[in-house]
Amino acid sequence: MESKAGTTETRSNITASDGEQVAALESLQFTDEFHRLILAPTSDNATSLTALLELPASRALELLHSPASAKLIAAPAPSFEALKGNFLFPSNTTLIDQAARSSVFAGGVNNTNNKSNAPETTSNNSTLNLEKAVKSEPAETESSQPLVSDPAVEKRNFKRKDREKKAKGSTKKSKTAANDSSVGPEKLPFVHVRARRGEATDSHSLAERARREKINARMKLLQELVPGCNKVSFNWINRLVTDLIISGTTLVLDEIINHVQSLQNQVEFLSMRLAAVNPRIDFSLNSIFTTESGSLPDNNFPSMVMPLIWPEVQVNGNKQQHQQQWQFDALQQPVWGREVGNNYITPENSLLSYDSSANSGR
Amino acid sequence: MHLPHSTLKQEFVKKWIMGLQRCKFSNNNMSIFERKKAIKLSADTAMASARKGLTCWSRALISNPDRPVPTTTRRASLACKKIVKRSRRIRRTAKCGAARKRQITRSIAQCLVRKRTQILKSLIPGGEFMNEVCLIEETLDYITSLRVQVDVMRSLASASVRASEPHN
Repeated sequence: MESKAGTTETRSNITASDGEQVAALESLQFTDEFHRLILAPTSDNATSLTALLELPASRALELLHSPASAKLIAAPAPSFEALKGNFLFPSNTTLIDQAARSSVFAGGVNNTNNKSNAPETTSNNSTLNLEKAVKSEPAETESSQPLVSDPAVEKRNFKRKDREKKAKGSTKKSKTAANDSSVGPEKLPFVHVRARRGEATDSHSLAERARREKINARMKLLQELVPGCNKVSFNWINRLVTDLIISGTTLVLDEIINHVQSLQNQVEFLSMRLAAVNPRIDFSLNSIFTTESGSLPDNNFPSMVMPLIWPEVQVNGNKQQHQQQWQFDALQQPVWGREVGNNYITPENSLLSYDSSANSGR
Repeated sequence: MHLPHSTLKQEFVKKWIMGLQRCKFSNNNMSIFERKKAIKLSADTAMASARKGLTCWSRALISNPDRPVPTTTRRASLACKKIVKRSRRIRRTAKCGAARKRQITRSIAQCLVRKRTQILKSLIPGGEFMNEVCLIEETLDYITSLRVQVDVMRSLASASVRASEPHN
């Protein structure tokens, strides 16, 4: 802290010796104070700033836009800088790993951190821009800081590994999580599934609560990501989502109802058609198969929709073939005479007449 | 519980042929609508008995096969009534505050779901006595059997049309 104060003083002296830009001086002092305020509580922010500086512009932008991952990504980058020879972080994979990890396990805790982190990173960026405009040298202060914060960073990495294990353990049983938090001196990130007073502690409701909290955490992330969503209350989003779910349910139900109705209508229509095509009810399969097997080659049958039931039906058909034939010869004509005599005025009339002409032609 | 499609088809065809033969012997000269009714009845009963009484809808269909299918006019009048009711409710809530309005919208959404559930219950045979979870399962089963029924009936219709063509 003292060294920082010193550097800021020297910097202000330098700009004072320039002496021409009064407005610039004022802005500088403002930014310095701001900087100090930001740097005071944690050293992490400095490292995150350097991390942002070292990263390529596109990724830095990404980080700024997703405050959730900003803090996480800030950690490996300085350590990479400091421990140059020792071990190289393949930065991309670690990024992905930690993002995934954080989103899955440490949802609740990260969430609380995010809120404090998000405005700081953005403000850091603004101060950075201001400093560049004034053209003082920010390199000193920032190059000195990672060295100071290195052990802290390493510790944090270890902590995260611990945290992982504990989080894995705590997803099932909230009791172990509670024990860990009581043992560990530092604030431990665990999945927030501790049963409060009067809440159920069986595994199902615990899992349900964890799921709900995960959804809530995602919701908050979404809220921070989407511009203009900060003004919208969380409750409103929650309501919106429930409304969406309900409307989805109604849509699905509509589809089901339509499908069932269409199928029932098809059954109606098909039974009507069968009744129209066949003069008597005993059309069944037998008559068809007797007529077809008499005149047509067998290779016509696989073209029907039900090839699997064919052999069984054929046996049936052969059994009753002679009987069928007899019925055809004896009963066909009288029935037809009666039906035509009734004189239906239906759209099927044409079909019937066509049918009758075919039969009489035979 | 879920039979494969082909075995279900076999069962259905077997039962249907049996039912149709029984119809054949009962009466020979029927009008086209009587014939249609008999065919549909036998098909429905065959479909229900093909499931061997494992499901609620099949049992309900067997016990009461003449169930009137809900017609569109009935449902239209129902919808009209609902619309009137909703408009009345909206007029009533115009005086209330924002929080109350929000509650009302949610209740309307739930009402929509409830209405659809009601319609579905009226569509599925025996649906009046099911709870929601049971209703969904039964609906799935009913849809599969309806598909089988439609498949078989369509193939039969096309085959019988082909059989009665003049070239034989």
